[in-house]
Amino acid sequence: MPCALHLAVLLAGVAIVTGCVRGNGLPPSPAEVYQNSDPAAIRRGRLLFTGTCGGYCHSTKPGNREAPYLFDCSWTYGGSDREIFASIADGFPDTRMPAWGGKMPEGDADIWRVIAYLRSRRSCVNAD
Amino acid sequence: MRSTRGLLALSLCAGFGFASLGANSASAPADTPAEIQLDPLPTHWIAERPVGRGAGPVTRAMLEEPFAEDSRWLHYGGTYKNFRHSPLEQLSPANVSKLQVAWAFGTGTVGQFEVSPILYDGVLFITSSYNRLFALDAKTGAVLWRYDHQNDPNLPLCCGPANRGVAITGDLVLMATLDAHLIAFDRRTGEIAWDTEITDYTKGFTATSAPLVVDDLAYIGIAGGEYGVRGFIDAYETKTGKRVFRHYTVPAAGEPGVETWSGTSYETGGAPAWTTGTYDRELDTLFWTTGNPSPDWNGDDRLGDNLYSDSLLALDPKTGEQKWYFQFTPHDVWDYDGNSHIFLVDTTVDGTPRKLIAQANRNGFFYLIDRSDGSFVKGKPYLEQLNWATLDANGRPVVNPRAMPTDEPTERTCPSNLGGTNGAYTGSFDPALGLVFVSTIESCQAFAKGISVFVEGIPYLGGLPELVDAAAGKSYGNFVAIDASTGDVRWRARERYPMMAGALSTRGGVVFSGTLDGEAVAYESKTGKVLWRFRMGGGVRSQPIAYELDGRTYVVYGSGSFATLDDFAGGPQNIPEGGHLFVFVLPEG
Repeated sequence: MPCALHLAVLLAGVAIVTGCVRGNGLPPSPAEVYQNSDPAAIRRGRLLFTGTCGGYCHSTKPGNREAPYLFDCSWTYGGSDREIFASIADGFPDTRMPAWGGKMPEGDADIWRVIAYLRSRRSCVNAD
Repeated sequence: MRSTRGLLALSLCAGFGFASLGANSASAPADTPAEIQLDPLPTHWIAERPVGRGAGPVTRAMLEEPFAEDSRWLHYGGTYKNFRHSPLEQLSPANVSKLQVAWAFGTGTVGQFEVSPILYDGVLFITSSYNRLFALDAKTGAVLWRYDHQNDPNLPLCCGPANRGVAITGDLVLMATLDAHLIAFDRRTGEIAWDTEITDYTKGFTATSAPLVVDDLAYIGIAGGEYGVRGFIDAYETKTGKRVFRHYTVPAAGEPGVETWSGTSYETGGAPAWTTGTYDRELDTLFWTTGNPSPDWNGDDRLGDNLYSDSLLALDPKTGEQKWYFQFTPHDVWDYDGNSHIFLVDTTVDGTPRKLIAQANRNGFFYLIDRSDGSFVKGKPYLEQLNWATLDANGRPVVNPRAMPTDEPTERTCPSNLGGTNGAYTGSFDPALGLVFVSTIESCQAFAKGISVFVEGIPYLGGLPELVDAAAGKSYGNFVAIDASTGDVRWRARERYPMMAGALSTRGGVVFSGTLDGEAVAYESKTGKVLWRFRMGGGVRSQPIAYELDGRTYVVYGSGSFATLDDFAGGPQNIPEGGHLFVFVLPEG
């Protein structure tokens, strides 16, 4: 079983046991769990974003960049954690967004940490 | 002029066509066309008759000329000395304000227009972003032939779709491409003579610079320092396109210098050679410079000096063997590529005549290096703001520890990662005045260190520069004159935005450059006094040249910038991209 799936199952189990199931019936995503309770995971997400995404592609400030700004809650391909996960993991063929699935040092858990970091410092013009 | 077509046919309304056929399938004849086919767009327009004025091939003697001739501009740097200094006396402080537009030309492309035109036999050879190559009548601007290179739309480029121009030799012009080809064209017709793949661009390699020709060889360096490539400089036979040698800029296991990389970090070490080098006939030495080690902003996994990144290399032109090196920025963690414009300057320093290489380096220091042995002669800051290091007696930086990238940086570090100046644009040197002229960026950043992840073909950066001054609107620029004997700044001319344009000086005492908000500017060489401005529109990222033709004096500029890098620098945000060539002329009489 891929480690990410392990993690997802584990976190889903934790969510059910603790009764932490959201109104839509889905357990919280790993990113949401990180965001709520794991500052170290958010910090790692920040360092991963700093080291891989934020240099020349996705800026940490709004501006003229080829890649979208990711902190304004405006999501072209879906703004749920799982949709963002899919965007990062699968990339977008025929664009310059690569598929990061399986390429992060600690597997897909690192992608969830990046999402947790994006969530932690978002500044929404309109609530998402 | 006849045209040839690209490989991709354009089919319109295919889905609609099938749906209609489906609805009428019972009565439709079997051979009814299912699609409306349009002819593919042309990508190559060839001159049916040789263009030019019958001057004959470009000879070795022409390529050796010590100063650019009035009616020729044959090298990226003007001559092998790389001065970009025109012998034209007609362009003087007295008349430069009378320049007027002779003609203009749109490239049809966005992204930075960084060309240094080549002029020969009454023909201007211009490359645009995305590797369009135009042969234009230098007097009228008429298109004589044209080639649009068909690049992958998703090229792994760090910094925009730039190309800085062609090289010329014999009856060939040579262009390197973003997808890492070197292509030779018949200068008279535009037909392709040969097309050589330099390397696999999908791994993060690209070629943006103008090649350099010496005798029968064409040299081209590769870019890709933001992708963890292993940098190199290649030599190719100009007649055939066959590769003669490849000089890697990062040593392999067991080679000298590999001990300056911890672990196996040399395998992804970068040190790209993304600008144009030059050549000294007397020393029979090729000089080339290299860029940053990879990853850019996290050096934890590549401890050591990281040779031969950020260095000046002296190479044997026939074999590529390295004679010596000088490293400007050991263990760079700021992206201070060593490959800004170099000048082969002969001057007296502290009473001693010296054969030198002069360079205003991206790291903010102006260097004088002995070009016979690579020894350090002198180094001084040329920026108003520089705090990342000082230099010791050997020219080695003594790094300010507060300037090192950290997880959560707070130190405002100068210069920015774009540098005090940058290899994407040239400087010029006036030998009579002994002055080097460069556009500068006065902008500081805080350097953040993150987690480095290497994946082939994906940016390998390890951190990011926080745009402190750029975000606050505090970045600005100077056009700077530096005394080549002392390294002292003689004058600065301040501009509102960082300057990222090339330079051209003239014997008549005028030096040209341009601004990010779209003005061509002429300064008095001695004083820096602004003599002329002309609003072209697009930010200036090109390398101007001048020439004389049929008794008239012309100055050529490219206009058109790249918004992403303008954002990094702190340039204007509201100017659209789009390449336009402007050719100015002095009035008759």
